[in-house]
Amino acid sequence: MANQTLAHSFRESPILRPSGLIVLAILTATVAILTVTGSRITLSLLAQATIISILALSVGFLARTADLISFGHAAPFGLGAYGTALVFQHGIPAEVGIWLVLVAVFALFFLIGLVVGKLNGIAFSMLTLALGQFFFVAISKLRAITSGADGLTVSLPRSLFGLPGRTYQTPDGMFIIAAVILAALVILIYLFEASRTGRLAIGVRENEERVLFLGYRTKILKAAVFATSATIAGVSGVLFALYQGFVSPEIVHWSFSGNALIMAILGGSLAVWGPVAGALVFFFLREWLSDLTEHWLAVLGVILIAVTVAWPGGMTGVAKVLRARISGRGRKGGGK
Amino acid sequence: MIINALNGLVYGSLLFVLASGLVLVYGLRRVVNFAHGAFYMLGAYIGYSVAIHAGFLPGIVVAAAALIAVGVALDLVVFRKLADRDPLVTVLVTFGVMLILEDFVRTVWGTGNYAIDPPALLSGVVQIAGAPFPIYRLFIVLASAVMAGGMVIWLRYSRSGLWVRAASHSPVVAAMCGVRTNVLGPLVVGLGAAFAGVAGIVAAPFLSLNPSMGAEILVMSFVVSVIGGLGSFGGAFISAMILGQVQAFGVVYLPEIAALFPFLLMALVLVVRPQGILGNKV
Repeated sequence: MANQTLAHSFRESPILRPSGLIVLAILTATVAILTVTGSRITLSLLAQATIISILALSVGFLARTADLISFGHAAPFGLGAYGTALVFQHGIPAEVGIWLVLVAVFALFFLIGLVVGKLNGIAFSMLTLALGQFFFVAISKLRAITSGADGLTVSLPRSLFGLPGRTYQTPDGMFIIAAVILAALVILIYLFEASRTGRLAIGVRENEERVLFLGYRTKILKAAVFATSATIAGVSGVLFALYQGFVSPEIVHWSFSGNALIMAILGGSLAVWGPVAGALVFFFLREWLSDLTEHWLAVLGVILIAVTVAWPGGMTGVAKVLRARISGRGRKGGGK
Repeated sequence: MIINALNGLVYGSLLFVLASGLVLVYGLRRVVNFAHGAFYMLGAYIGYSVAIHAGFLPGIVVAAAALIAVGVALDLVVFRKLADRDPLVTVLVTFGVMLILEDFVRTVWGTGNYAIDPPALLSGVVQIAGAPFPIYRLFIVLASAVMAGGMVIWLRYSRSGLWVRAASHSPVVAAMCGVRTNVLGPLVVGLGAAFAGVAGIVAAPFLSLNPSMGAEILVMSFVVSVIGGLGSFGGAFISAMILGQVQAFGVVYLPEIAALFPFLLMALVLVVRPQGILGNKV
């Protein structure tokens, strides 16, 4: 553990693991119980947490697949949210418009990925912070389109994708929608990692030059992974806009990206579901701590430092150790 | 025109002082300090509190001393302990430090804006090409030039400067030749932090104080580093000067979108020359 790096903590054979599904099932069962018995506030919190956990998932996906740490994922998130708001504002048929927004996010971040894909490690992280700030400034300044700091109201139509518009803005309705989409994305990521392309992406992460020598176009693959991660963040943004009914530049601010990153790290990336667990803990911790202390930022800083230094696998690391203990492979699991 | 160019020079020299602190630390430690902007903010707030009671010069001295202490602590507690880990671990830790410092500033000084007047000696204006220009802004350029110039002279002509350059080039070989690289770490990181802190208090009468100033300047100094090339003083100087001018003229001629120009410039440089103007291969 002592010299385990972040890069190492993301390495795990990319196959569809039954244990991941068990965790997912437990998670689903817990929240299903909460849905039935929980208070309205808990439910609302849960709906928000599930939406944001998709954003954390996208950050974790990039970290896991490409070993890249993004400080700017609020940008695609914000574009998804603002895109949705604009679709409704301009009366574009939503069923088409929302897909167009996601395709646009993918295309834009594919192009960005072609450029930033040349950078690795620290340079990439610095660049994503600057990139995120670019979108924050752009959205704040282009008042004609985004109404600047005033934000945009999202007015939902009577019916959307076959569901009543109201459903998207009730805590239980949105929670179920977001949870289904989240589960679908987690499964898709597992399938991607088991696929040929997914293995190639891992290969690029491990040694890009070698994959290049084998004759693959790594540049395009890297850009595609980056764009996929951005699009997942975009999905989260779309759901956020639908649920909140309001978007403002705050959601593109660097601190929003930072929070998503902290969720991903808190959860860990030994398994795909890590960031999701991290996001849920983050939300409930914040709710609980905001009653006790005002120093949420400092608490966050301390958590981030403690987890990265002492506990690089995050919650997935703990789960791994537990699983190893239970199945009697403790010696192997602990000595990694 | 000349006034705009001068304003650009003022902002550019501040950016250069900040970026050179980043470059100095990156050279030796191979990590980028994400708390650098928070150091700048901390220097500004500490300097402000001392300045309103004891005068501006003591403000600068105390801010520098406080930030040296913070920098030395950062090196001893974080950078040295994590030296053999993935640099990204250190980056994330400095991000955590930044959050803690932001909370600290909010707790001690609140979330309001503060403004501070320049010292009496440096207030007032001079006529430049028929237009008034605040003397204090010229002082910012002078102070930045003294700091950056002093650092360059130190690195180039002093014994310890030679050691820092040697250790930045190859820590192992430098250590084998008898350079005490363990002492250089706190020295360099303390100096880098002090640069950020002094830049903060020197900039305070020019820009105002608020809790988001740290993150804003951090992003700008990253843009400077990316454009100039990570780890290059010359590149940082060129790109800080260009960005200062872009900012100054943008605000006058295209105020609506001026804030976007630095990022567009960065994108352009990345497409043409991903390693930055004077950077080595990243």
